[in-house]
Amino acid sequence: MTQAFLSIRKLHKAFGAFTAVHDVTLDIPKGEFLTFLGPSGSGKSTTLYAIAGFQDPTSGDVLLQDKSLLSVPSHKRNIGMVFQRYTLFPHLSVAENVAFPLRVRRRPEAEVKRKVADMLSLVRLENFAERLPAALSGGQQQRVALARALAYDPPILLMDEPLSALDKKLREEIQAEIRRIHRETGVTILYVTHDQEEALHLSDRIALFRDGRIEQIGTGEDLYLRPATDFVAGFIGNSNFLAAEHLETVDGAATVRLADGSLVSGINANGSFQRGQKTRLMIRPEAFRLDQGSNGAKLAVEIVDVAFYGERRRIVARTGAGQEIDIRPTSTALAAQDVASSHRPVFFDPGAAFLFPA
Amino acid sequence: MSVEAQQGIATPRIPAGLGGLLPALTLIGLFFVVPVLALLLRSVTDPSPGLQNYAALLGDGTYARVFFNTFLVAAVVTIVTVLVAFPVAWMLAIMPAALASILFGIIILSMWTNLLTRTYAWMVLLQRTGVINRALIGAGIIDQPLPLINNLTGVTIGMVYIMLPFMILPLVGTLRAIDPMTLRAAALCGASPLAAFRRILLPLSLPGIAAGGLMVFVMSLGYFVTPALLGGTSNMMLAEMIAQMIQSLLNWGLGSAAAFILLVVTMALYALQLRLVGSKRAAGGA
Repeated sequence: MTQAFLSIRKLHKAFGAFTAVHDVTLDIPKGEFLTFLGPSGSGKSTTLYAIAGFQDPTSGDVLLQDKSLLSVPSHKRNIGMVFQRYTLFPHLSVAENVAFPLRVRRRPEAEVKRKVADMLSLVRLENFAERLPAALSGGQQQRVALARALAYDPPILLMDEPLSALDKKLREEIQAEIRRIHRETGVTILYVTHDQEEALHLSDRIALFRDGRIEQIGTGEDLYLRPATDFVAGFIGNSNFLAAEHLETVDGAATVRLADGSLVSGINANGSFQRGQKTRLMIRPEAFRLDQGSNGAKLAVEIVDVAFYGERRRIVARTGAGQEIDIRPTSTALAAQDVASSHRPVFFDPGAAFLFPA
Repeated sequence: MSVEAQQGIATPRIPAGLGGLLPALTLIGLFFVVPVLALLLRSVTDPSPGLQNYAALLGDGTYARVFFNTFLVAAVVTIVTVLVAFPVAWMLAIMPAALASILFGIIILSMWTNLLTRTYAWMVLLQRTGVINRALIGAGIIDQPLPLINNLTGVTIGMVYIMLPFMILPLVGTLRAIDPMTLRAAALCGASPLAAFRRILLPLSLPGIAAGGLMVFVMSLGYFVTPALLGGTSNMMLAEMIAQMIQSLLNWGLGSAAAFILLVVTMALYALQLRLVGSKRAAGGA
């Protein structure tokens, strides 16, 4: 507990009758890149704002190196932040924007100059020092905001959906910049986004928020390969949910009966289920194969549509029970005309399928 | 680009426009240009040709004091108006739009209320036996009534009240364009509320303060009713002096000269503001 750098303790925030954050507890080690992922209204931004000092939590605490931050006003928290919209100071040049936190700290002029030069080279905007923010593109403005937030070497950098106002190409470019800057500075980053790809790409760990609670926290692989709940499975990556009746579970491996009557065993059971209980079987689209392999479970489907997506094919298929599922085998697995044959079995590894309560 | 666009629109319009503009030009010439020229002519011909009216106004200590007093009152009123209007404008800029529009309505309603009524109301409030003095004495805060009327205090209170909407309206426009998140960003950068105000909010609101301030200052320079009713004889303003010169002394020449000086000063201030704001705009667009 005590080795945690930043610690969120039972943080609770209510707006009137609406509870935005329910007793969130979280420990963040120094240097970690942690992403708060979740749909809008899930409490991720509210948690971030409590750390920034923009919103006082109803109860709970935020500790930085074992000292509570709550009684410290925003301007004394020494936290860096990059916002969703560009919040550069429009009347100050790029260099003066980056210098601003140093000037309000009354640092000597020589240090300000050196630090501004360092920061502008960190975000690769050395040649834009004298421009006003209005003369920069959105991506450039967000890089200046990043330089400004890092200029005073804050122990923590908060980023509130910093890329959501940018187009896709710029987003990917700045994501790479953020990764590089995290690597080079070692700053602890708390990053808020609703974009799961962005979260998977950037983070060391992801805290997935739902209705003000953390549904699951772990690495991207944990969340993708070992989802704790059907919400996690549905939010991270793509997933198919098939209705299934639970028959028995032995050593965490469940056997179920699908709606078309076929039996599948060796499934990961998340939780304990009764015999005959209605459940949902989650299978990733890319976990389906077109050849049986060594231990593939079989599912009879009717092919509805086949589309070519480069490295993968995207197949829409209908199960015997009439449910449409999404299948994405690698393109090289079979030729298009073979795939398109109307009725055929598809296969999946039961070890890559998960059982959740219905 | 804008030059091209302007030319593209302007070129076909000029020939047709000249004829069409004639009624407007006649109106402006007849009712605005001619009277100003007549005023100028009068000031250098009445009672006899020469600059003696200007010499009298600028050379005489009494007149000089009136000029000084006029600028003093206008300056004090402008400064106090800015100080009172800023927090109000900021509140209007950040509050929910529905509530703000109600408050705007109230402010504009006061603008539409008769000026004389509002000034007499202040007389009732400010005089020796007025509401304010009685309340303060009744509460035991003061023994003697405060001199709130027939002096600079009275003029300032009355005029600030009348000028406030002219300051608040342009200022709200400027403040609304400022993203409140910018101030949060400044706070996290380490700026105390005071530093954020001084380094961010104030510089960003300067165009609004300049526009409103100039309007208030210029209007105050030529104001007549409020200074006449709430001011004292020792701090007469230019408009009252002009009224006296023309009504009581029937000295049209001197009155015209005084009015013309006021006009020139006002135009000079306007030109100055255009230059300041113009250069700011240019810097902002670079």
